[in-house]
Amino acid sequence: MTAPLLDVEALSIEFQTPSRKVRPVDGVDFAIGRNQTLGLVGESGSGKTMSSLGLLRLVPRPGRIVGGRIGFDGQDLLALSEPEMAALRGRRMAMVFQNPAYSLNPLLTIGRQLGEIVAWHERLGRADAEARVADLLGLVGIADPGARLRQFPHELSGGMKQRVCIARALLCDPWLILADEPTTNLDVTIQAQILDLLRSLKERLHTAMLLVTHDMGVVARMADRITVMYAGRVCETADARTIFRAPLHPYTIALLESVPRADRAYDRGRRETLPVIGGRLPDMTHPPAGCRFHPRCPEAIAECSRVLPLATPVAPGHVVSCIRRGSASIPVAA
Amino acid sequence: MGILRFILRRLMFAVVLIVGVSAIIFFLVNAIGNPVAMLAASQPNATEDSVAELTRYYHLDQPAWLRYLLWLWNLARLDFGSSITYNQPVAQMLAIWGFETLKIQIPAILLALGLAILIATIASRRQGSRLDFGVMSTALLGQSLPAFLMGVLLILVFAYWLGIFPSYGAYSTRTLLLHSSLADGLWHMVLPVAMLTFFNTATLTLLLRANMVEVLRHDYIMAARASGLPERRIIFGHALRNAIIPVLTYLGILFGLMLATAPVTETVFTWPGLGFLYINAIQQLDYPVIMGESVVIAAMLVLATLATDIAYVLIDPRIRLD
Amino acid sequence: MDTSLPARSRIRAPRRPGVWRQGWRRLRRNRTGMLGLTLVALVVLVAVFCPLLAPYNPDDQSAMMSFGASAPPAWSHIMGTDRLGYDIASRIVYGAPTALTVGVGAMLIASLIGVTIGGISGYAGGLADELLMRFTEFFLVIPVFLVILSVVRLFGIIVVGTWLESVPHLNLGTIIVLLGVFGWPPIARLTRAEFLRLRQLEFVEAARCIGARRRDILLRHILPNALPSIIVVVALGVGAAILSEAMISFLGFGDPNAVSWGQLLYFNYETLKVAPWASLAPGAAIFITVLGFNLLADGLSDAFNPRLRQ
Repeated sequence: MTAPLLDVEALSIEFQTPSRKVRPVDGVDFAIGRNQTLGLVGESGSGKTMSSLGLLRLVPRPGRIVGGRIGFDGQDLLALSEPEMAALRGRRMAMVFQNPAYSLNPLLTIGRQLGEIVAWHERLGRADAEARVADLLGLVGIADPGARLRQFPHELSGGMKQRVCIARALLCDPWLILADEPTTNLDVTIQAQILDLLRSLKERLHTAMLLVTHDMGVVARMADRITVMYAGRVCETADARTIFRAPLHPYTIALLESVPRADRAYDRGRRETLPVIGGRLPDMTHPPAGCRFHPRCPEAIAECSRVLPLATPVAPGHVVSCIRRGSASIPVAA
Repeated sequence: MGILRFILRRLMFAVVLIVGVSAIIFFLVNAIGNPVAMLAASQPNATEDSVAELTRYYHLDQPAWLRYLLWLWNLARLDFGSSITYNQPVAQMLAIWGFETLKIQIPAILLALGLAILIATIASRRQGSRLDFGVMSTALLGQSLPAFLMGVLLILVFAYWLGIFPSYGAYSTRTLLLHSSLADGLWHMVLPVAMLTFFNTATLTLLLRANMVEVLRHDYIMAARASGLPERRIIFGHALRNAIIPVLTYLGILFGLMLATAPVTETVFTWPGLGFLYINAIQQLDYPVIMGESVVIAAMLVLATLATDIAYVLIDPRIRLD
Repeated sequence: MDTSLPARSRIRAPRRPGVWRQGWRRLRRNRTGMLGLTLVALVVLVAVFCPLLAPYNPDDQSAMMSFGASAPPAWSHIMGTDRLGYDIASRIVYGAPTALTVGVGAMLIASLIGVTIGGISGYAGGLADELLMRFTEFFLVIPVFLVILSVVRLFGIIVVGTWLESVPHLNLGTIIVLLGVFGWPPIARLTRAEFLRLRQLEFVEAARCIGARRRDILLRHILPNALPSIIVVVALGVGAAILSEAMISFLGFGDPNAVSWGQLLYFNYETLKVAPWASLAPGAAIFITVLGFNLLADGLSDAFNPRLRQ
């Protein structure tokens, strides 16, 4: 296999305020090959969004990246200067945000705010830039793009806004698209349309994608590989097929079981009810010692709170961090 | 089409407002009796004949409601009547004294807006820094320091102790007597404008900085950053554009506050403006001036809010006029 | 990182203390808010203990004969004397109760009117709301300060020769009533917004479902929850009313029988050049009081709405 397009190693992000210190992302590894889609899965608050902002080096203050390496097309992004990084954002690596209603500037027309980006990166004149924007609006399936250019965000529907956001991410033919819960805030019928659109665009434009979501159904449709995160750490990474057929990490298993399935009847009268993961995500100011999932893990043993499981390959392309699955571990400092 | 209708509705509101305010003041003034007679009581050389003549001239022998209607009728023809004490047409007085008021108020508002944009932008970029804290503390103190007290301090330091600027008036006596001089007028404006600008800047900076901090947290700012736009363009093209809208609407309110407290600020500097005129008029019970000035100030307030509302609509496409 | 604590014990949510206690706890941590509270407490203490604190009777002009009028600060008169021979320190101390009476009195009236109008308009909605909001809008556009000035002046003339003339501190009372009567629109607007917001929350819905009377819903469910926000505006309003009285008195329309900071400034502004202390002392007193209430309001709004501002 050739070198991946994106190779994240031991990325850590820390928020420090005078009163407390939090690490929403704590030593995370994942990689994405060219044209590949990686699904980054986890509950809200598990550090998925922060990781994707970290890739763009846009962690909001008072957070900052405190360790790791972000290899992108052979460069370490953490070693770039701020202007070099800015030149890369939107051009080589672009992002689609969670809530289309908030991620477009309400005061500028679509043509103006998208045109501005093309004009800046490609040094185009206003007319050329708007022509490009119109092309892309057409590509993302917006009818009558010429008229949309002069409209304001509030004049568009939610699905339409997300299409505009996707067009914005594709303006400069990026190599990697970061899609952060791109369908969470949309109606169910629109969700499917947007996912289909993302997939077909990815194929046509030969772009890699990082798809951040909490929805197993979405990754099942979209992802080639899947990384499961819990409380700022990676639990398991594998091919999508492996994750769904033969998951290893107890958290992955629990996550899959908690997805309702049409072929089963869940009824209070019957034996089978929809399994839930007991407890809740830990307070990140005081995360549990050892494996962070152990307080909620059905398979936890005393050892789990005393050692830190390390990401260990169990098969080609399949990495797990759980001592019950034979992962290597190091003792936690007392 | 929409905007014309909106302006028309606002102007109708203004008319109702003016009739309301003037009616209150008119009937209050009339509750005290014949102002000419009351004034004459304090003037040793007033004769009964002249009182009677003035009473007739001002129709003070007619019933109050009739005189109010007459006053309204004249107002509709932009005739404000004439002053009892100054013996001049009120319209002409308002124009002259009003010019002096606007001469210090408008520069003070515009200067403050510019300064607030500069200061609030820098402070919000370095949110939580010592600079930010210093700016915010100064602005909070400045907002609590009433403009007229600032004026007293400015006069004490820059006029009395340092002797740089004049302590009162809009022109030197020499200028008034001999020739007009632009430099002299500007020289007299410095302290009053500084006083008003200080207060306005503090207020606007606090407001704009709070809005900037709020806007900078929005997703569309993050999206603009993620699109690789340069920081300068994100701040001025995206953040400031959104943050300044509430500030612009506040300008109308601020202007109103400044006009309403003009009697105080102009007394501090003995500035020959509308505020000073108003104080004189209510001391002398010069009711045509009181009423004329109330109407003009109410009209200015309505125009100021109208202007800010129109600016609002021009900037924010989400606002519809209805 | 703290690893010694068992993770499960952290998961349980702590019992939530009431809005007031929570607010107080946050206010105590808020530097500006505490500074404001300290300044306000200072003014209140001075006002309560003014007979003990004042070195002279506020109406004692005897310094005119011995110490001299417009004399600079000295040991016997720590802030100097003014143009009329009064001891400035004593006048300042006795000005505190006047200022607080004006601020609190005016805001009591304003709150009564404002909460009633805003409450009705926010809860009832419909035509009543429309009418009341137009009415408040009207009040927001008129140059209030100018109207108050003329009313104070004209009322002062109207009462001459009537029984009202013998009412003590009639002029100050007029000013308080006017400031209250013209000061309610911000309170009404806020109350309306709060009532609109609270009216559709679950607990109010629940109270309505179990058949609570409308009066009970308004007074026992909605109003107590709207109070924190209303108090912020009222605190601001107290400062503003004190400032307005100072400005009215500075222009010479104050109560000649009351000891007030604005009036002290009015009597001594002419001699600013030769006796600056006589103007600076009341100016500083006004500033400190207004600042205290503004900072307190700022701290309170942070304490009650922690999400709104950081």
